[in-house]
Amino acid sequence: MNDLAHGVTVETEPPLEPVVDKAKILLVDDEPKSLFALQELLSTLGQNLMVAQSGEEALRLALRNDFAVILLDVRMPGIDGFETARLIRARDRSKSTPIIFLTAAADEMTSMFRGYEVGAVDYLMKPVVPEVLKSKVAVFVELFRKTERLRESEDKLRRLAAHLISIREEERAHIAREIHDELGQVLTGLKMEVTWLAKRLKDKPLIEKTDSMCLLIDSTIQTVRKIATGLRPEMLDDMGLVAAVGWQAKEFQKRTGIRCRAKLPAESRFDIDVSTTMFRIFQEILTNVARHSRATRVDIELALGEAEVSLEVVDNGVGIEDQELHAKKSLGLLGMQERALLFGGDVRITGSPGHGTRVSVNIPLRKSK
Amino acid sequence: MRILIADDHPIVRHGLKQMLAADPSATIVGEATNGDEALALARKLEWDMAIFDFTMPGRSGLDLLGDMKKEFPGRPVLILSMHSEDVHGSRVLRGGAAGYITKDSAPQELATAVRKVANGGKYVSASLAEILASECSSDPQKALHEKLSDREYRVMWLLATGKQISEIAKEMGLSPSTVSTYRTRILRKLSLTSNAALVHYAVRHQLVG
Repeated sequence: MNDLAHGVTVETEPPLEPVVDKAKILLVDDEPKSLFALQELLSTLGQNLMVAQSGEEALRLALRNDFAVILLDVRMPGIDGFETARLIRARDRSKSTPIIFLTAAADEMTSMFRGYEVGAVDYLMKPVVPEVLKSKVAVFVELFRKTERLRESEDKLRRLAAHLISIREEERAHIAREIHDELGQVLTGLKMEVTWLAKRLKDKPLIEKTDSMCLLIDSTIQTVRKIATGLRPEMLDDMGLVAAVGWQAKEFQKRTGIRCRAKLPAESRFDIDVSTTMFRIFQEILTNVARHSRATRVDIELALGEAEVSLEVVDNGVGIEDQELHAKKSLGLLGMQERALLFGGDVRITGSPGHGTRVSVNIPLRKSK
Repeated sequence: MRILIADDHPIVRHGLKQMLAADPSATIVGEATNGDEALALARKLEWDMAIFDFTMPGRSGLDLLGDMKKEFPGRPVLILSMHSEDVHGSRVLRGGAAGYITKDSAPQELATAVRKVANGGKYVSASLAEILASECSSDPQKALHEKLSDREYRVMWLLATGKQISEIAKEMGLSPSTVSTYRTRILRKLSLTSNAALVHYAVRHQLVG
């Protein structure tokens, strides 16, 4: 049964297996004989060999495939090897694909330098020594595999982080709502009941008691509000990002004594997930300002474009050092970057000691649901 | 006076009814438990004023208020809310509400609000009035603390929260004597004479919180 089930899965997703299993190697040579020889030689590696007889053909293949390594003949009619390499390297997808040039021994040393200039990682003289070629190619295949695995695990981690962030956000919103709505309303009801009672009392000590009960209920309501807002500001859901940023800036000034000037666009509502992401990043920036900057002033500018929302926060504090930026410990900064990345955005932090810090955040807007 | 009430919490509706019962001129003609129901009742029933919760399931908040103002432009809607005034207050008033009152307000305040709104007036609580006033403070008579430099402002804030000169000096990376100089300048700019007066000033202008 197990085998059968397994077989079915494999059948439904056939392209996945070979891609993961075999690395693609591109062989480029205008002479069919040389191509054939290379194929024979490398077939024992058990990888996926693809061939091209011209620079144009090689380019076309490089556009659609990720190669572990490309073996490229230097002398070809039409686009020669160097030009082909340059064009391959110019493409984003293949900009770091390793290229090994193959050239006749008669070629001069100077052409070797040209090869390295356009991105060759190695240079082999024809006729090639089979063992040398094979082991060189094998190294690149291994490297490719490792890179792939690294990318996969990076991708997995990123998706996991995204999942955790969204779960945490949902949870916070849920708890905030429960606390604020349920607890808050019951307290409101309770207060109304106590007031009803108070009105019917004649005894002074009893009235004093109900008065102090009311005060207690009031301060409990305040606390409930504070907890709920701390978890997730209701503003964000009710009024949108622009209002929430304005409110947070005012709160920040009240809480820290650091002056905040906010330049905000007209209020408008858009994608709540993007709003949440931007808002959380904003909070993190302010936390950093309060904690590390010694600033006395923060300028905030939020802008809504057609396709993106951007935020710039500039403080007049001590400024961040490059090494602090790249220190492994700065999880807060990493967290901001990861949050933005989830929505295809980015966070740039610049600053120099003594000249304050500038944080710029850009997040593309998705089509609003 | 015929009143329509809407709140998704039975306990709040109950309290509201109890309080309105004290006013012989008030009759509750309808009770809704969510925004859509509230709107439906408003279309069906005869009423003079509405008291709505700000946050309800379904259509609520500013959206519901907008609908109500569009369909019944002449009739007052009083918004009752769990949220404090500084969060929603001014927006709700701008959205056309006749009044905004938080649920933790004293019942007398609610009674006052109902009476005022029923007579065609607007109800603005003292704390909301303060917020509204500060929002339109673009007038030439700037608050005194606006004249403080950024650094003076922060020193003022630290003093207002009870920090000692030495603590402030450490926190801001300045020498104590520099901080003292700032303090003198701040007091002069704010026309104050003591730290206590400064604390009072900061609280009154809601600069600390």
